[in-house]
Amino acid sequence: MPSKFIIDRRTCLKGIGASLALPLLNTMGWAETSPGKQAKPPVRLGFMYMPHGVIMDQFWPKSPETFLTEPPPALEALRPVINQCLMVKGISGVSIKPFNGAPHALELSTWLTAKLPNADHRGQIDIGISADQVAANYVGEFTSLPSLELATMPQTHKENQEGLNEGYYSHCSFRSATQAMPAEIDPRSVLNRLFGKSDKPGTSTRRDPLDRSMLDLVISGARELRKKLPHDDQHKLDEYLDSVRTVERRIAAIEQRQKEAALETAGVSSSKRDTSDSPPIEIKIPEGDKRSEYMRVMCDLNVLAFQTDTTRVSTYIGSTPNGVTYPELGFRGEHHSYTHHQNQAEPMSKVAAIAAFNISQFAYMVKKMASLKEGNGTLLDNCIMMWGSGLEDGDKHSRDNLPFIIAGSGGGSLKTGRFISDVKGNQGDLLSTLLACMGVPLDRPIGIATKQIKEMTTNL
Amino acid sequence: MKKTIASLPVIVVMALLFGSARLGIAAPDDEAESKARRDAVQKVFKDDVTPFLKTYCLECHGKNNREKQGDVSFQSTFNRPGAGEFRKQWQLALVNVKTHAMPPPDAKKQPTDEERRKFVEWVPTVKFLSTPDPGAFVIRRLTKVEYGNTLRDLLGVDPAIAAQLPEDVPGEGYLNTISPLQSEQYLELANEALNRALGPKDGPPTERQKQLFGETPAPGSDLRLAASKVARSFARSAYRRPPSDDEVEVLLRVFDLGQDNKLTYPASLRLMVKAVLVSPQFLFITPEKETPTGQSIVPLDDYQVAARLSYFLWSTMPDAELAALADSGKLHEPDVLRAQVKRLIEDPRSQALFDGFGVQWLGIGGLKDKTFDPAKFPEMTSAMRATMHDEVRLFFESIVRENRSIVGFIDSDYTFLNEGLAKVYGLEKTVSGPQMRKVQLTDANRGGVLGMPGILAMTSFPERTSAVKRGVWVLEQVLGEHVPPPPANVPALEKQDQKEIAKLTLRQRTELHRTDAVCANCHKILDPIGFGLENFDAIGRWRDKDDSGGQIDAAGELPGGQRFTSPKELKAIIAARKDEVVRNLAEKLLSYALCRPLEGYDEFVVDRLMENLAKDDNRMQTLITEVVISYPFTHRRVR
Repeated sequence: MPSKFIIDRRTCLKGIGASLALPLLNTMGWAETSPGKQAKPPVRLGFMYMPHGVIMDQFWPKSPETFLTEPPPALEALRPVINQCLMVKGISGVSIKPFNGAPHALELSTWLTAKLPNADHRGQIDIGISADQVAANYVGEFTSLPSLELATMPQTHKENQEGLNEGYYSHCSFRSATQAMPAEIDPRSVLNRLFGKSDKPGTSTRRDPLDRSMLDLVISGARELRKKLPHDDQHKLDEYLDSVRTVERRIAAIEQRQKEAALETAGVSSSKRDTSDSPPIEIKIPEGDKRSEYMRVMCDLNVLAFQTDTTRVSTYIGSTPNGVTYPELGFRGEHHSYTHHQNQAEPMSKVAAIAAFNISQFAYMVKKMASLKEGNGTLLDNCIMMWGSGLEDGDKHSRDNLPFIIAGSGGGSLKTGRFISDVKGNQGDLLSTLLACMGVPLDRPIGIATKQIKEMTTNL
Repeated sequence: MKKTIASLPVIVVMALLFGSARLGIAAPDDEAESKARRDAVQKVFKDDVTPFLKTYCLECHGKNNREKQGDVSFQSTFNRPGAGEFRKQWQLALVNVKTHAMPPPDAKKQPTDEERRKFVEWVPTVKFLSTPDPGAFVIRRLTKVEYGNTLRDLLGVDPAIAAQLPEDVPGEGYLNTISPLQSEQYLELANEALNRALGPKDGPPTERQKQLFGETPAPGSDLRLAASKVARSFARSAYRRPPSDDEVEVLLRVFDLGQDNKLTYPASLRLMVKAVLVSPQFLFITPEKETPTGQSIVPLDDYQVAARLSYFLWSTMPDAELAALADSGKLHEPDVLRAQVKRLIEDPRSQALFDGFGVQWLGIGGLKDKTFDPAKFPEMTSAMRATMHDEVRLFFESIVRENRSIVGFIDSDYTFLNEGLAKVYGLEKTVSGPQMRKVQLTDANRGGVLGMPGILAMTSFPERTSAVKRGVWVLEQVLGEHVPPPPANVPALEKQDQKEIAKLTLRQRTELHRTDAVCANCHKILDPIGFGLENFDAIGRWRDKDDSGGQIDAAGELPGGQRFTSPKELKAIIAARKDEVVRNLAEKLLSYALCRPLEGYDEFVVDRLMENLAKDDNRMQTLITEVVISYPFTHRRVR
């Protein structure tokens, strides 16, 4: 029996001890808005991934002119929001030399880093910070969760191409060069983490009011330990300290919100939030093993997390390289096997259907965002949602024109409703552009970036 | 591709020079002899290998050719060919030169067979240039499994409490990091574990609480002193070593925090214990003392040995007996260590060795979640996949617990079945009921990992077998060969008449690969092994015809000219290649135990293991014991 969950603001307020996030609070407006300024919703950035590339003539629009009237077949599900979408052809992926034998280990791990792993330490995670984490470093402090990482499959693919660490197969988000961010695959634990709620009675854990001070003391003890360790170990401990500090900050953010919630309950504050804003969406956790239902609940959680300003940055690995099948579409073999179609019609039609399936889950998410009012527009207006793959043609492992779709105009910073067919740029350029649209100052380029793609934006 | 051909003379030399096995660091038996050997290896490097590299490799793999060289450069090897960091590069070069993959077939200059032979023979001797080195001992985070088990042993909670933690990806580096998500979960899990073990905060004390906290001190007595005793004792278990005074002081400050906030004595202790559970000293395996100055290699202290041993074989913290031996400083004594290995193996907790190592080695980690075509293989339910996994586990454990020969992994005449799995074997008439039991096998095609359904299924696609996957699996997991990855741009096969192709057997279709020279080099080695197992379908059932209706042709030839016509003959050939099978397992187990890939000097360690194993019929427990008493397991490099 599917369980239903409505996170409404009252519920959150009632469960003060347990609630980790609240819908946008009347008292605060947007967290970083300075006093006196008009509240403007923040820009959120989300990425969703599918491996192995697309069937090119099903994916790329025929021409810029016909993009809105005749969107390509792969984008059928996006038709209702097509004028809020942006497609760009000509963004090349990172060249994978010297790892020529590892196209699938690298399609996902280079996707948001725009960088190759360190060839001298290929057995370890050693790549570069990913664009989502650059964004999280900048806007993460405003929300109770700096970023949200989701995946459909467990991140345990066992293969070792070119001696590369297995983690490269299943991770796109890297907090630092050496730190892969694990993704959550259980919608229940995501719900619990976002809102301290569970649909199973008694499983939610109440936080302890002294935890934050206790962590402070543990951190001070860990600093002592750090001094005694050799250099390499110190680095490991730094990562530990960083992650514990993040938790500490998160608890601080929660406490702040609780304080404000208490004030609101006491009638001290007045509402700044636009009354036209939609109430938080409902989450249904499906019981079956249907992939589409599962992916949709993950999309719902992503929408809810953005809607309630619990986080402003997300990644969702909708599918991982190798080993994934699509029984729901009636296909028996592996996605990867079909992509080596050698231009045969039958496997090509399957690859196209798999891409359309993945894009339709993305479409479900962005359409939901488009249906939610926020400020003077919709939630989608204030988002930059990117769906994409790390290869263009899976058969040849080519990545000259990375396939991706952007939905949402990022608060008016992106020129949506168009197809730009002839851009010259790389993966790093694209990511740098998106970060700039989000207002993230870049002190260094993302991976191989050399510029921003001016054609995409309104403000460059 | 036969590793032994090249290294055989080396093993003979080794046996002569390193005849006596000792625990710990081995001083070369004879300095002069060892120098002579080093000089000999250097001489061949200078006379034969350097010209070879310069003539055939340097044009691309030199210093000033970044575009072509990829990440491989031989320039820097000229001064110090024996440096540990080049180990992988040499291995790769060996494979590539042997298989004629390098120099590329289209290169202008090609070495003669004699030149290739000299190069290929020299590479394994490079280890003689390395000096004893136990490798770095970087602090390591507990894995998800270890964390759950350790909480169980500390607090008596169900280890499944850790289920929500992200999956661990094996491989160095990754396991050491902690993301904010994990940190948050550790805090939440600490709260949850304490709720379960100690009951509600204001409730009556549970048995576990009485055991951990002792009696509440009488009013007016020194609470901080009493708390310090609890801190010392709990941290001794949780940190797997006695805590330092500073560490106890940090914990007491947490206790003070509770007291200052008007918590009761037990509630303050509970906060303190929670601090232990989120501390790096608990979440990571950390050394006890400050790094000693002036030394670069030190023996592990007994606490570290206890932790290393216990996590290796049990995936959990040391138990009371190991802890007591560490406290008394006796654990490092070889006889004590051997006796403890035996005790740990015989304990049911040693199933952890299969769950942690066996599963990874045999590559069946994904079996329970792997999807199969439900129309073609309706019997491949999740229960069936779990049973197949269980069969591999019981078989692995029988070899470990009964101290059988490692070769038994390849060639045995028994397995473990229940009624459902017996159908896959065609033995449903002899086995009934859902419980797994040992079954004697008469069909020589079965018995051993090569004919085991779980493994055959894991090396198949959802709807069909894959000779290539099975071939790679046998070479890499069983024989320890390095298979180079396929070229980046897989050349499209010549346009074929698809209708004609549909009539071909899988074998005939796969053999099309070998019409292309680039593919042929590897596939002529991989494919025959996989075809030797073609009589087993994608879930491990016997068949005489494949999906096309064509007769299965399981004949083939291994590199070196050994021919076979059936799975049982392939199995016999591989079982006879004992040295490779044993060495491969020894290397993989050592690497697992050390939590790092093997490097230069480790070759010696494996050589030593091999000698001692050979003297004892290659028994599994001997291998485990030898790993535990080995130099790198009992020492660490500190700078």
